[in-house]
Amino acid sequence: MLTINNLVKHRGTQEILSGISFKARPGRVTGFLGPNGAGKSSTLRILLGLDHATSGSALINGKPFAELHNPLATVGAALDGFGAHRMRTGRAHLRWIARASGLSRSRVEEVLEIVGLTNVAGKRIGNYSLGMGRRLGMAAALLGDPKILVLDEPVNGLDPEGIRWIRTFLRERAESGNTVLLSSHLMGELEETVDDVVIINHGKIVANGSLKEVIGNHSTLEKAFFALTSENTGDVV
Amino acid sequence: MRAFNAELSKLFSLPGIWLAFLIGAFAPAVIAALDSTAQKEKIIAGVSTRLSEVGYIGLALGVQGVIILGVLAVSSEYLTESSESGGGNQITTSLTVVPSRFHFLLAKAGAVTVISILLSIVAILTTVSATNLILGEYAPAFEASRLIGAVCYWIFTALLAFGITVLTKNGIIPLAVLMINSSVVTVSYLLTKVTKLAFYLPDKAGFDMFMFTSDSFHTPFTGGLIMFAWVAVLFIVAAIVFHRRDVTS
Repeated sequence: MLTINNLVKHRGTQEILSGISFKARPGRVTGFLGPNGAGKSSTLRILLGLDHATSGSALINGKPFAELHNPLATVGAALDGFGAHRMRTGRAHLRWIARASGLSRSRVEEVLEIVGLTNVAGKRIGNYSLGMGRRLGMAAALLGDPKILVLDEPVNGLDPEGIRWIRTFLRERAESGNTVLLSSHLMGELEETVDDVVIINHGKIVANGSLKEVIGNHSTLEKAFFALTSENTGDVV
Repeated sequence: MRAFNAELSKLFSLPGIWLAFLIGAFAPAVIAALDSTAQKEKIIAGVSTRLSEVGYIGLALGVQGVIILGVLAVSSEYLTESSESGGGNQITTSLTVVPSRFHFLLAKAGAVTVISILLSIVAILTTVSATNLILGEYAPAFEASRLIGAVCYWIFTALLAFGITVLTKNGIIPLAVLMINSSVVTVSYLLTKVTKLAFYLPDKAGFDMFMFTSDSFHTPFTGGLIMFAWVAVLFIVAAIVFHRRDVTS
């Protein structure tokens, strides 16, 4: 369970998050949607202890990230970018992560197999395509076989086959009782993947509920999204 | 301990580190060999004023290897690239694997220290061999206490480079400043001509651990203590800044 409670983040004089609250529950895929710059990544970074909140809390199973005993076994995260040094091979990257969490080398080979990178594991990450880098990030997130996955724009840069793979994979994770939180600005891709939807715009939550509730009277999630975010823009202006 | 192992694993799987090893292992020997060759006639004639420096000069001026090591250990975490090629930013992965920033920094500093010790031992072996090869029976005896001083100098230099890079997040400035200061233009040496306070700068004070020259200012122990104090203060400042800083900023 992920609990974001009244999170506020200031950067300089700018307010990036203005008191956002939502939950991501076990057994469900929660889609965290919003336009670029709405505050999605900032929220996920605070949740993962990378950035500090000005006020409020972001808890993983009731604890802040920094207090988790073995974070990799609790929450797997794949943030924007590969999160890896370009001169290292994919396998070497996963091996140091495994070493930091006391996991075996055979687990590295397992996750490489799961994400389909076994054949290129010996190549330097600098030569990876965007899609391969995304898969590498997924592999790192899965190393500790965590009950919770936090993914920032997981389908960004993936080819149709990759998108389909992610979709099936995340559905399976959720159906076996895991918590999945993913952010995206691609509505069409998400409608078939998510159970719950949280929409953020200009640092404020503008909708939060099950997919059906959020779509409401609109025909698609995309239409609901534009209706909600443009209304909100109107309010601010 | 796991975090420490992971840091060693990270460093050894980075190609740039082999450059540090190469320079660290051989630069001191080359410098010592050149100096010995230049001094050979005077030494044989018994008129050399710099007999006490022979060999050690290589260990003093050849610290570039550990400077690269200390800088690279940190700058590789922050290396960023265009979004098409993945953006780099390994630090985000590192801090989601080891959530305590203090542990992370300690593990990294530990890995840098251990590699610096190994590298300095290799450097001592190559330097002593090179000096003996050139000067033969005229080569000075190397004392263990001075060599330990040289090992400390290498460790502290690596940690200074490490601490500065934590603050700058970018390797270029610390690399340029430290490499130039340690080899081409020794700013701290020039400053000693202006003010006695310059003898308290880390590299000048550190020299006194093993370079017994006419202008030595501190005893080896005091010199070491002063350099260590610089390292400790810098590490504390770096740890505080690192703890407070957002990874994105």
